Amino acid sequence: MTRSLRLRLTLAVVIVLAAVLATFAVVVHLVLEQALVRQLDVRLAGDAAAVAGMAEDDPAGPEFEYESLPQFERQVRPSYFEAWLDGTRVFARSPTLGAHDLPTLGARPGAPAFADVTLPDGRPGRAIALRQPLRIEDGPPGAGPSTRLVTVVVAEGTEEVRETLATMVRWLWALALGAFAAAAAAAYLIVARGLGPVRAVAAQIERLDADELDRPLPTASLPEEIEPVVRKLNELLARLAASFARERRFTADVSHELRTPLAALRTTLEVAAAQDRPAAAYRAAIRDATALATQTQALVANLLMLARLDARQVEVETREVGLRALVDDCWRPFEGEAAARRLRFANEIAADTTVATDPDKLRIVIANLLSNAAAYTAADGSIAARDGDGRTLLEIVDSGPRIPDELLPRLFDRFSRGDAARSGGVHCGIGLALVRGVCAILGLEAAAENAADGSVCFRITGAVRGRARPSPAMSRAS
Amino acid sequence: MRVLLIEDFEPLARSLAQGLREAGYAVDASADGEEGLALAESSPYDAILLDLMIPKLDGLTVLRRLRARGAATAVIVMTARDQVPDRVAGLDLGADDYLPKPFAFEELLARLRAVIRRRYQAPSNLVRVADLEIDAAGRAVQRGGRAIALSALEYALLEYLAMRRGQVVTRAEIREHVYDFAAEPASNVVDVYVGYLRKKIDDGHPVRLIHTHRGLGYSLGEAP
Repeated sequence: MTRSLRLRLTLAVVIVLAAVLATFAVVVHLVLEQALVRQLDVRLAGDAAAVAGMAEDDPAGPEFEYESLPQFERQVRPSYFEAWLDGTRVFARSPTLGAHDLPTLGARPGAPAFADVTLPDGRPGRAIALRQPLRIEDGPPGAGPSTRLVTVVVAEGTEEVRETLATMVRWLWALALGAFAAAAAAAYLIVARGLGPVRAVAAQIERLDADELDRPLPTASLPEEIEPVVRKLNELLARLAASFARERRFTADVSHELRTPLAALRTTLEVAAAQDRPAAAYRAAIRDATALATQTQALVANLLMLARLDARQVEVETREVGLRALVDDCWRPFEGEAAARRLRFANEIAADTTVATDPDKLRIVIANLLSNAAAYTAADGSIAARDGDGRTLLEIVDSGPRIPDELLPRLFDRFSRGDAARSGGVHCGIGLALVRGVCAILGLEAAAENAADGSVCFRITGAVRGRARPSPAMSRAS
Repeated sequence: MRVLLIEDFEPLARSLAQGLREAGYAVDASADGEEGLALAESSPYDAILLDLMIPKLDGLTVLRRLRARGAATAVIVMTARDQVPDRVAGLDLGADDYLPKPFAFEELLARLRAVIRRRYQAPSNLVRVADLEIDAAGRAVQRGGRAIALSALEYALLEYLAMRRGQVVTRAEIREHVYDFAAEPASNVVDVYVGYLRKKIDDGHPVRLIHTHRGLGYSLGEAP
């Protein structure tokens, strides 16, 4: 099946048209044929009546007085008749018949019979059989018809009928074919014209490029059958444009976040190398550069993880893991930073809490939440990791300040962060986006809320949490 | 030359301040927009290095407010945002130059020299006063074809006097624009350094170039 709508529609119209025209032609053909045969029958009836009139009953006995009729005498395509008296004795024959007989066709008085026959000379023909009382010559007025019956059969070739019919049918089919061709061509052109708006829309879509996706295609002048398609397309374009814009902003943000620590790294190294210094000064510069490189590395790792999450290239390997030890592990890198700001950390997770999950992925989640808490909790504050209850896996609670209300709904979006300028690579709005992304592949959910007492709680829900099982009898899971 | 550095990423701010000081600039640093703007309005800086993404008040707002109050200080915008619209916005708001991060520190110094030169209407880094030549790019000084070795502070003082050659420069101006005098407690520190400089520049030359204007200050030039 062709994929061209124009060809399909044209083909459909043409097939229907062909069927209609063929039916029409066949019906006309049959009607014509019937009419011509009826005309022939009328002539045959006339001839038969004329022949029957030649036979008469006479006081001297029945006699047949042949009056010459040209159709029974011509040499080419002659007609034939035969007459019987009382159904048995041959009364008369047309000169053309010679010694042949015609079939009597079983006609009854008052009901002439017609039939297609083969003429004595082999031509196809049609015959009428008439059976009627003999005419009484010079009979007294009021006398009834003769008691004797004459049977007349007249046969004539049907080639004239068939020739006429053939001519008419030739014309009929020629006209039908002509009409068909004209209608098909017209259908093709009309369909093409009707599909004009589709082509126009296609051309507009073809001209679209990625920079103007936010400009919708005009729908005002479109036919109502195409308008919904274009409207849906416009909605799709709008979504695409938004996604491109997000992508562009993300790229710009990523480049910003990577450039800032790189700028610091480069300046630190260039300034250090600009003049001769004591070894201690070089060591300090190298320490700074290492810290910057580490920070950049963490950022790049986070970005890569985010990209893998986007590309669905992250595999999950689930096993049982102790939650408390995992949290301790995750906190270690932030101990120095927290101590510098006099933050207290408490790991309140029960020693026997276990989780069936991918520990490497859960580590990313917890590390980012702790990193966030270590960076944003006000100096002299506290941070705690707690077991949750019910469906809650764990909570990271810090002493605030509270998350601004306008930030809360988009806290886990990429590059949304407390202070638009807070830069330096790690707390640049990637961490919490990563938390949400990793949680999603672990079947977890991350949420944040401000508590009434001014503390901030990050909550991870959804994992199967259990207790370490010293013996099977003690095992229980919530 | 006194420079204000407004940059919130601490490792970068620290290295920049160190590098600029070692290049002979007096550097004040601020990590947010509000403090930076207050500093910029309180002292006559020769140049401001401004990061755009800074807390409290973003860099473009700082720039706009600064220009709205008629401050003519040269401003170099440094930012990790390097898209053309960002650059255009910065320059349109009155930035003198735009430096995308990361940059070569040498380039920052060169651009800084260029905007300061423009501020003092010097056509090139090479300033000539009679037979005295001061090359700001190489921080080299020679008189009568003979190189003169100067300490960082002496050079900074001479460069400032050279930028304003032919004008009388007050002691207060010298304190404001030349590195670390502000931090020195002794009130006559400017006179002491001018004395050192005079010894190195003028001794053994028939024409004196550094002149004292009693009760006013100092000037550099052939005529007092």
